[in-house]
Amino acid sequence: MQTIDARERGIAQAIAWLRRGLLTHVAVTLLVALLGLLAGFQSSPELLGMVRQSLMFNYSGAADAAALLLVLISLANISALLVLVVAIQAHESWVLPGNVLVILANLVLVVWLGCLTGLLTVVFGGLAVASMARVSGLLRSNPVMVRELRGRMRGARAFVVLTLYLALMGGFSLILYFIFGAVNAQNASSATGIIGRTLFTGVVGIQLLLIILIAPSFTAGAITGERERQTYDLVRTTLLSTPSFILGKLESSLAYILLLLLAAIPLQALAFLFGGIGQAELLLAFVILGVTALAFGAVGIYFSASQTRTLSASVRTYAVISIGAFGAPLIALFVLNLLLGSSLVSSGSDAAPLIETTLQYLRLLATSLNPFTTAIDTQALLVEQQVWGVYARTLASNGSTIPMISSWIPFTIVYVAAAAVLMVVTIRATRSNDHES
Amino acid sequence: MSEFIIETHDLVKKFGNFTAVNGLSLQVPVGSIYGFVGPNGAGKTTTMRILTTLTRPTSGGAFINGVSVLDDPRAVRRAIGYMPDEFGVYDDMRAWEYLDFFASCYDIPLAERKKLIDDLLALVDLSHRREDMVDKLSRGMKQRLSLARTLAHDPSVLILDEPASGLDPRARVEIRELLVELAKMGKTIFFSTHILADVSEICTHIGIVEAGQIIAQGSMDEMRAQLQPHREITVTVRDAEAAETVKRTVGGLTGVVNVVDLEAKGGRYRVRIDYTGDDDGVAALNASINNAGVSILGFTEETKDLEAMFMRVTKGIVT
Ligand SMILES: Nc1ncnc2c1ncn2[C@@H]1O[C@H](COP(=O)(O)OP(=O)(O)OP(=O)(O)O)[C@@H](O)[C@H]1O
Ligand SMILES: [Mg+2]
Repeated sequence: MQTIDARERGIAQAIAWLRRGLLTHVAVTLLVALLGLLAGFQSSPELLGMVRQSLMFNYSGAADAAALLLVLISLANISALLVLVVAIQAHESWVLPGNVLVILANLVLVVWLGCLTGLLTVVFGGLAVASMARVSGLLRSNPVMVRELRGRMRGARAFVVLTLYLALMGGFSLILYFIFGAVNAQNASSATGIIGRTLFTGVVGIQLLLIILIAPSFTAGAITGERERQTYDLVRTTLLSTPSFILGKLESSLAYILLLLLAAIPLQALAFLFGGIGQAELLLAFVILGVTALAFGAVGIYFSASQTRTLSASVRTYAVISIGAFGAPLIALFVLNLLLGSSLVSSGSDAAPLIETTLQYLRLLATSLNPFTTAIDTQALLVEQQVWGVYARTLASNGSTIPMISSWIPFTIVYVAAAAVLMVVTIRATRSNDHES
Repeated sequence: MSEFIIETHDLVKKFGNFTAVNGLSLQVPVGSIYGFVGPNGAGKTTTMRILTTLTRPTSGGAFINGVSVLDDPRAVRRAIGYMPDEFGVYDDMRAWEYLDFFASCYDIPLAERKKLIDDLLALVDLSHRREDMVDKLSRGMKQRLSLARTLAHDPSVLILDEPASGLDPRARVEIRELLVELAKMGKTIFFSTHILADVSEICTHIGIVEAGQIIAQGSMDEMRAQLQPHREITVTVRDAEAAETVKRTVGGLTGVVNVVDLEAKGGRYRVRIDYTGDDDGVAALNASINNAGVSILGFTEETKDLEAMFMRVTKGIVT
């Protein structure tokens, strides 16, 4: 048996390594972004060519696309490492495999694209894994999650909810099928492809709506519920750490939502019968749904920890989500679309290409802040151009191209990072709240 | 490590302008059953919440096993088992799952938990309720289950806030017996209560708190001696003449402070002797009355009951 102190030291060491990896990726992001800007302003593409030569030597695409990819890879690494840092504090059992997975993914990038920055994660992540491996008895299933799932899966209730959910989704699919089937019956024989796509889009849309409603409501009551039931003090006087407590609450809600998502996959796959969608759509839809649940669930947890009553936590959660993920990005999108169609871009002035580039990237960002616009954009790109990653976008102002990216990638990076940051903040706030009382 | 497993020094806790705990210093010896009594709002719960790391003191120190609750809350949590005055149970769990959850919160490995849960349930006499839903248990059973929960990590101190409140007399006695049993297992028990009968029945030590301050504390014997200047012995005899003899006989003995005639009861005469001597002296008193040829019908020492003691020391300050 190791002493608790040795364990804590091993964990602290692993966190320190992950944090170093995180910081180097922040540095890489800033550096490449700076070089990109420099290259743009001084119109010296050879600068980016150098970047591709040295950091992405196996990449065959354009130099500016290589720079964009480099930034995205670093950002994705930052998100992933943040998640690992939070999870390791909670002694989560999936930290070790998760960490190994992140390292493997980076190794693939290194070999496939020659992306040398991936090595940063390989090295620092590897050192973190080494620190963790020396700690025995580190990994365990989260007590809070086990408890919550036991309660939630008990008896007829869970079964009834699942059945009801599937019945609803099935009914909805049938309605869609009949409506669009009737509309397209007299049209071409290729209508089945459209039916398949419509069915799939409808089911995913409904799922997204349900998740947006369910995920925050599950988590907004998670911690306030303990206070209202007067069980909070009991748990807080045990040795259960704050990270374990907070993360356990989030995980148990997500686990249930994951079950709902998995249960509906056969329904989505029904669309396969009609054709018109591929595995990429299925996979990306799943990613978008899962990431939405994670981030919105995290918002719920944050307010649940800082409020005393479930009602006020719920109200605040929905308010923040409707403003942050709907109101603000949708208004921004509307304004950006107006600007992109305005004389600012079409004037033919010297500044027009630069303005359009900036507006296009801002539009990408605004699109990726909302799950619906992200899903629509990702789907459209898949259908029209069969692209799920980087592509070239032609500027209206001068006909040159800029590298663009399917919005599910920035969406995932931003939402996962936001969830991780929210968890860090929640853990901090809970600790200091408990100390002040 | 000192002989006191719980110690506080000049503990102060303010809520805004209101002082709930006002310079409270207490010492709980290792292995004792310490009754923490005082009127409503005296600051008992607040003190316990400080000791269990749930509330930060405004000033002063609180130590469990010599470890400050501020410096190392984890070590303190490992050492204590806490039962709040009001607590909820999860409504969707069975009795064994309830214990399993808390055992896992204390990092007890899965392999050890099954046996631990069986032992705990047997200890609190709930083995037959293993599979029952927790919220369907009676209040007494919930209280016992909660007590089992506090024992999951084998703590050395139990801090129990009114463990017998709201229970019927039988359930109360059961809890009381359980506490005695736990003390025999070597646990120190620090509990608050309003029921003085519980205190006089099982406590080895007592602390009386009022308006956030300890006004009397010590072992039960010390407290009795401190609060009662002398012992009161009542001698019952057959007639007035015998009573006179008793008075004459003991009147001049050392240690006898006062001798009074009590009202005759049921045709029997009674004499109260206020005496400051020890047990040997009491035996000698008895012998000398016997030697004087009086046939004694009753020779009893009144233990002043705790209620009177409590009323005497607490001034009824309304907080
Ligand atoms: N969080 C709080 N905020 C403000 N005042 C508080 C708070 N907690 C306790 N108090 C006050 O502190 C005083 C002491 O309360 P405490 O609960 O410690 O008393 P107690 O001795 O446990 O009383 P009882 O015997 O009724 O349980 C009370 O007047 C109470 O109103
Ligand atoms: Mg109280």
